[in-house]
Amino acid sequence: MSDTSLPKPRSEMGEILHHLLRDPLGLVGLVIVTLIVGSALLAPWIAPYDPIAMNIPDRLQGPSAAHLLGTDQIGRDTFSRVIWGGRVALQVALPTIGGAVAIGLILGMAAGYGPKWLDTLIVLFFDTLRSFPTVMFALAVVALVGPSLNTVIFVIMATSIPTYGRVVRTLTLSLKEAEFITAERALGASTLRIMGVHLLPNVLGPLAVLAAMDIPTVVGLEAGLSFLGMGVRPPTPSWGSLLNDGYSLIRNTPWLIIAGGIPLILTTIGFTFLGEALRDVVDPKLRGKGGK
Amino acid sequence: MSALLDIKDVVVRFAVRGGVFSSAGSIDAVSGVSLSIEEGKTYGIVGESGSGKTTLARAVAGLHHASEGSILYRGQELRDLPEAQFRKLRREIVMMFQDPIGSLSPRLSVKSLITEPFRIQGMKGRDLDAEARRLLAMVGLPPEFAARYPYQISGGQARRVGVARALALDPKLLIADEPTAGLDVSIQGEMLNLLARLQDELGLAIMIITHNLNVVRHITDRVGIMYLGKLVEEGETDTVFSAPRHPYTLALLAANPEPDPDAQLMRIELQGEPPSILNRPTGCEFHTRCPFAQARCSTDVPSWQVAGPAAHRCHLPASWEQDKVCPA
Repeated sequence: MSDTSLPKPRSEMGEILHHLLRDPLGLVGLVIVTLIVGSALLAPWIAPYDPIAMNIPDRLQGPSAAHLLGTDQIGRDTFSRVIWGGRVALQVALPTIGGAVAIGLILGMAAGYGPKWLDTLIVLFFDTLRSFPTVMFALAVVALVGPSLNTVIFVIMATSIPTYGRVVRTLTLSLKEAEFITAERALGASTLRIMGVHLLPNVLGPLAVLAAMDIPTVVGLEAGLSFLGMGVRPPTPSWGSLLNDGYSLIRNTPWLIIAGGIPLILTTIGFTFLGEALRDVVDPKLRGKGGK
Repeated sequence: MSALLDIKDVVVRFAVRGGVFSSAGSIDAVSGVSLSIEEGKTYGIVGESGSGKTTLARAVAGLHHASEGSILYRGQELRDLPEAQFRKLRREIVMMFQDPIGSLSPRLSVKSLITEPFRIQGMKGRDLDAEARRLLAMVGLPPEFAARYPYQISGGQARRVGVARALALDPKLLIADEPTAGLDVSIQGEMLNLLARLQDELGLAIMIITHNLNVVRHITDRVGIMYLGKLVEEGETDTVFSAPRHPYTLALLAANPEPDPDAQLMRIELQGEPPSILNRPTGCEFHTRCPFAQARCSTDVPSWQVAGPAAHRCHLPASWEQDKVCPA
């Protein structure tokens, strides 16, 4: 027997990144997402001004060298507020989506693979959660505990659990009958092993696509709730509160509403592109087939 | 030699859920099958689609629950054995599935796939690299295949991976469900030679499920012909193939392409489809399609008739006086 080592299979992540970068859609999406995430992370160093520092003499200015996107009604630098607003947006979106995906994953797999009674119970739970209109639910929670970032995170997370849970459940149900799962049972694999090693990787791909596409929705929801005064409190900068300010001042200066809108649009485009490209890449069978 | 596997009157029953216009009930996909497989021997189960052969195989592998009867493996009852205890036996009783690629977990590399039995059975101490190399060599695949994924290999190669995986732990009984399905004829041949070679080397008993009569004729020692969940004829392969008694066996053999143009075999053509298992015919379940059926065939259930090294269940078996077939 030779002592040459066996070739190592390329890692799944490496494979995905390799194909993602060769897809123009994926590349554009990745660049935009990196830009948004990067500027949010580096906000203290990128933003030229303190986003909440008032400067009344310079109020309601148009774009200039000093203020790239002008200033609002109390002289705060809009560009700095957009950058810091991105931080708030991601602070809401990432834990929300992360939490909802994690809970949806566990419940969905338990429902799909577990006994019938558990399935019925979990589906009932999903349907109950789903029946809450997000904004109404948010109003109720805000009335109870007051508006805050955590309220927004909690409300959006709770109402998006069923979306992920149901997708995972359906995928699990169809995979459960697949021959490779029966083959694993025949080898004596435990339920935990089947779920973790064989079901999870096949569920994770479609779920990542869904999550990437959902980030803009959550960012939009956060903006909407902040716009309605139920999200982050002033003076914390958020894209929603920028829109809110801009909306009331649209006759004085259009810059505010444009500055609040563009990052929302960019986020949507960036994550949607990324999601679309991921969809073609996460399924190993579709990889490198070139085209749809 | 003692029997490795002894199956007695096994019934596998599935509940049928009632719809709006139909009542709930149950079907017997396998309805009272008895057979035994000796150590190191090959047993073939032949039948049409829906005859219950895969269900029988899965019942033996502990993937379906047998409602009645007994499945003795080395004298140990497998029916109703809790999964925790069955798990230890899964080293010795292994199964290969019909779809070569579909039965491999798609996100695992070939190396992970073929060394998985060691991990599942708690033998992590083994040098998995060395085991992978040994198994790949055993089934005739180059070591580079360790890094491939199921979607990167052909059906025949996937089948070899399936064999490597099944035989990783030196099993005693291999249940092979359609091991040649979906393969080119030349690859089918390679596959069968591989199985035969490994059987010699490892002293393996094989239960092979197939509808391919040529496969059965060439590699099995005994054969059972299944129809609607029951065995209709059973015995030494040579005897069953050279002197089939049951009209269904005759029809199967007649339908099989015969390479020798001078061979004289009576042609029997069966009309129609096999009846639904939901609505099992009375008497001999074959009487609805049997060209020789008489009145009593639809009322009396035939019992086993032993004829030399084979047995059959038929009221009017073919007789083979002077090498000439004359039914009834």
